Amino acid sequence: MYGFTAISTHNGWAMAIAGALIVFAGLVVLSSIISQLHKVLLFWEKRHPVFKNNHKMPKNDKPEGQEDTPVSPLPKEFPTDLDEIACLYQPLIDEIGETFYLSDLYEIARKNDFPHPHITFTAFRESEILVPCGDSVFSWNPPTENKDNDNG
Amino acid sequence: MDLLFQFLSNTGYYLADYRNVIMIVVGSIFLYLGTAKKYEPLLLVPIGFGILVGNIPFFKGFGLGIYENNSVLHYLYFGVTTGLYPSIVFLGLGAMTDFSSLLARPSLMLLGAAAQMGIFFTLLGALALGFLPREAASIAIIGGADGPTSIFLTAKLAPHLIGPIAIAAYSYMALIPVIQPPIMRLLTSRQERLIRMPELRDVSKKERIIFPAVAVILCCFLAPASIPLLGTFFFGNFLKECGVADRLAQTARTSIIDTATILLGLTVGASTQGDVFLTPKSVAIFVLGAVAFSIATASGVIFAKIMNLFLKEKINPLLGAAGVSAVPGSAREVHLVGQSEDPENFLLMHAMACNSSGVIGSAICAGILWSFMIVL
Repeated sequence: MYGFTAISTHNGWAMAIAGALIVFAGLVVLSSIISQLHKVLLFWEKRHPVFKNNHKMPKNDKPEGQEDTPVSPLPKEFPTDLDEIACLYQPLIDEIGETFYLSDLYEIARKNDFPHPHITFTAFRESEILVPCGDSVFSWNPPTENKDNDNG
Repeated sequence: MDLLFQFLSNTGYYLADYRNVIMIVVGSIFLYLGTAKKYEPLLLVPIGFGILVGNIPFFKGFGLGIYENNSVLHYLYFGVTTGLYPSIVFLGLGAMTDFSSLLARPSLMLLGAAAQMGIFFTLLGALALGFLPREAASIAIIGGADGPTSIFLTAKLAPHLIGPIAIAAYSYMALIPVIQPPIMRLLTSRQERLIRMPELRDVSKKERIIFPAVAVILCCFLAPASIPLLGTFFFGNFLKECGVADRLAQTARTSIIDTATILLGLTVGASTQGDVFLTPKSVAIFVLGAVAFSIATASGVIFAKIMNLFLKEKINPLLGAAGVSAVPGSAREVHLVGQSEDPENFLLMHAMACNSSGVIGSAICAGILWSFMIVL
């Protein structure tokens, strides 16, 4: 049996249409839910002290109205020299520790409004300021140390 | 003297027929593409070598061939016929996958759904060509461009077709750079290809941890037959994201997936014995596989263009082509086609979002098709 007859006999039209609709519906529902996920988390984090009003405030909570201050205030004109940029990154490294995941450094750089962290990281890696330690962990090798190493 | 003649009559040189020779040539081409051209070497090298091993002629009844009980290859092939290797490969894939881009732009998941239309078009095509429903469903899943999913579903529905379907699925995955770009260019204008995507928002660690748990529940409740694939896939991802099981995640994405890939590739390759593989059905499967993959690519691109009719902030329709689940090949291809028009257009992260939703979509499709066949 061939052609449309075979499709109809084996219920092919119904399977194709139902299958397409089910997979579409499934992924639409999943995408709708995950699109709200960050809002739900934000809501939960804001509500958290209210639900736990008998507990002490966490140590890092700031009084109302006081914004998070950046770890490192940036100059008005961002430098183009890699060593100078590395100096600006130093306070962030001090904050996250000597070895770190690149994603953590990226996150803190973004929070502090450092421009184009991805590109900067690539440049850091090329000039061995960022040194891979395996397992996605990196260590910081400041430019001065770099130069020392180069000189033997 | 008789002993010598008897020995010679049992050698591969004496027993070989033209089908073995053809398949050995095919295996050699796979090895050439994998090693010299670097087309999906992690897949094509084990499969290519498996084809060589599987097509060495032998005296039947010695317990040597993959289809003979008690042979070593038969035991290794057990992981394919039971769907074990695909599940393990999905565990490793999950431990490798970063869903951040998908979480940052969930609407791109629709492109992953749209690209699955190739599966259902091919289902109709295979039925029309006279394949039985179980065979047609197994062939159709090639449109998902997901080797492990194709093998898994075929093992469940039409085990006699595992060889040709697996080879077709992996061949088309390796041929992404050849198949997809012309379709992308044909269906999009230059203006559309130049559309830049906005930078994705930061995704918190909590979101990344919660996602696999939510997704496994939603997807597997919808299509429980996809549990063996999506269950391990999201488990692997949870291991990666939870931050307290790094050792397990590391093992899943290295040793475990590598072992499964080696055994899967070698045994699938070895299952292509000339006398079993070279049939008119195999040719039809290859043709249908190419159709499925092309339709899947086209569906994604066309759906992205349809979405643009309703969106204020247009998306680059090339992303639709990454809705097939060939990770990361199709995402890379989308990125390269985008960059060929505008070198400063970075589509990779957005394409990865479509790609990872394609993996989920094709596994759901496998579950749905399996459920349909149980009902039939």
